[in-house]
Amino acid sequence: MRNHYWISLWTLIRREIARFMGMRNMTIFPQMISTALYIIIFGFSLGGRIKEIHGFHYIEFIFPGLVLMGVITSSYNNASNYLFMARYDTSIQDILLTPLSYLQMVFAFTIGSIIRGLIVGVLVLATGCILLKLPIYSMAATLIFLLLTSLIFASFGIITGLWAERWEDLALFINYIVTPLNFLGGIFYSIDMLPPWWRHLSLLNPIFYMVNGFRYGILGFNEIPLSISFALMSALSIFLFFWTVYLFKIGYKLKT
Amino acid sequence: MNPFALTICNLHKNFHSLEVLKGINLNIKSGMFFGLLGPNGAGKSTTINILAGLTLKSKGDVKIFGYDIEKDYKTVRQFIGLSQQEFNLDRFFTLHDLLLYQGGLYGLRQTEVKKRVEELLQRFGLWEHRHQKPHRLSGGLKRRAMIVKALIHDPKILILDEPTAGVDVELRHDLWNYLKKLNREGKTIILTTHYLEEAKTLCDEIAILLEGKILIHDSIEKVIEHSKGDLINYFIEEDQEQVHA
Ligand SMILES: Nc1ncnc2c1ncn2[C@@H]1O[C@H](COP(=O)(O)OP(=O)(O)O)[C@@H](O)[C@H]1O
Ligand SMILES: [Mg+2]
Repeated sequence: MRNHYWISLWTLIRREIARFMGMRNMTIFPQMISTALYIIIFGFSLGGRIKEIHGFHYIEFIFPGLVLMGVITSSYNNASNYLFMARYDTSIQDILLTPLSYLQMVFAFTIGSIIRGLIVGVLVLATGCILLKLPIYSMAATLIFLLLTSLIFASFGIITGLWAERWEDLALFINYIVTPLNFLGGIFYSIDMLPPWWRHLSLLNPIFYMVNGFRYGILGFNEIPLSISFALMSALSIFLFFWTVYLFKIGYKLKT
Repeated sequence: MNPFALTICNLHKNFHSLEVLKGINLNIKSGMFFGLLGPNGAGKSTTINILAGLTLKSKGDVKIFGYDIEKDYKTVRQFIGLSQQEFNLDRFFTLHDLLLYQGGLYGLRQTEVKKRVEELLQRFGLWEHRHQKPHRLSGGLKRRAMIVKALIHDPKILILDEPTAGVDVELRHDLWNYLKKLNREGKTIILTTHYLEEAKTLCDEIAILLEGKILIHDSIEKVIEHSKGDLINYFIEEDQEQVHA
């Protein structure tokens, strides 16, 4: 009787990292290139025409949000695409047959997706900081908010990866929920530039809290207290993580 | 050690309104070579998938070596090696990597699993195909790969769902010899099959599943005798049909 459950867990994490690293031209580099393009276009050609926000160049102000967008899509796509494919070709059964607990399965899939999000995040961040000659204000806050954001979207990815019946369904969440929330979440502007009713509405947008915390990490500037961002994001992360564990436990769309 | 590898008590399964299993009772002793027979759609795969935890039962108790398949799922899964009827081979990795990972998922150390993978791939004539992506292999090779995957952690019970469907005669006989050897060494084996010859060659006991119930469960000679040819006729016909097909 073998009881090396940690070997099982570590194997699954390694396997999921190997999966996206094997496709890095699809999973890692495109985000880097698109962010670099954003910086070049906004920063060096258009940027001069847009006035400063809270004492930052426009490109500096939107840069944290651009990084987050890369992290969000990477973590989300990693989890949702893998799970959907594995359900579709039934290779998910290779995992369901093993002695891994449901908590371990979800933990490994989540960690795999977080790592992809972090790799993309750190590479994009480094590219941007070099291009913009921008020092990072607080490394700790930057990493914490990077981590929480990728955890939240890894969980959303797992949920949609389980729920989806067609490829198209995976994009629904990104196209109809995440993209609008990104644009309304204060990535491209400061919320005090908005009319009051819209400002209040922004407070219902989870992306707003992520951008707020992450922008503090990079620029040292935040619009609402950092503790609120941190508390709300932590609560959401924990809730989503245990929800995904629960879905595995009941075999939601995994078992017939 | 529990004398029964498998005990099934009053097992029911419904897929929505479709009642597939209608109260199955079955005890299989440890070390048995057991055949589950029955026409297409009888519920053989459903039963097997319930044992392995891929399908949720609607009602009843199932124990593997005395451990409940739901309450003690982690222990039970260590005992079982399953080769499903439908191929499921992760298309992203090469056969070799896929098996290394699969061994690791069962808690085998890298050095241990490397040795085991090489041994099994050599034994099944898959060694020269190890760098292929599994979906590029021919049907017969895929079937072998499925069996190797099921054996990777040296399970106490090997469950094979139609392991020789669509497989050439040579491999079929080779596999029979190998399975007999594993069984002699103490492994409990459960297989489903359409081929009477296969059941006759391999199985100590068979059960026939018909319309969601176990019709008969006995040694193969007794089953043939009891059914006075009636039931068995069905399988012989089907057997010949498939062999000639
Ligand atoms: N996931 C499922 N959803 C609905 N019906 C199913 C499902 N799986 C199997 N069935 C039905 O259950 C019955 C038994 O199927 P199965 O166990 O595959 O039979 P066998 O393996 O004996 O050929 C069939 O009528 C089949 O259509
Ligand atoms: Mg079947």
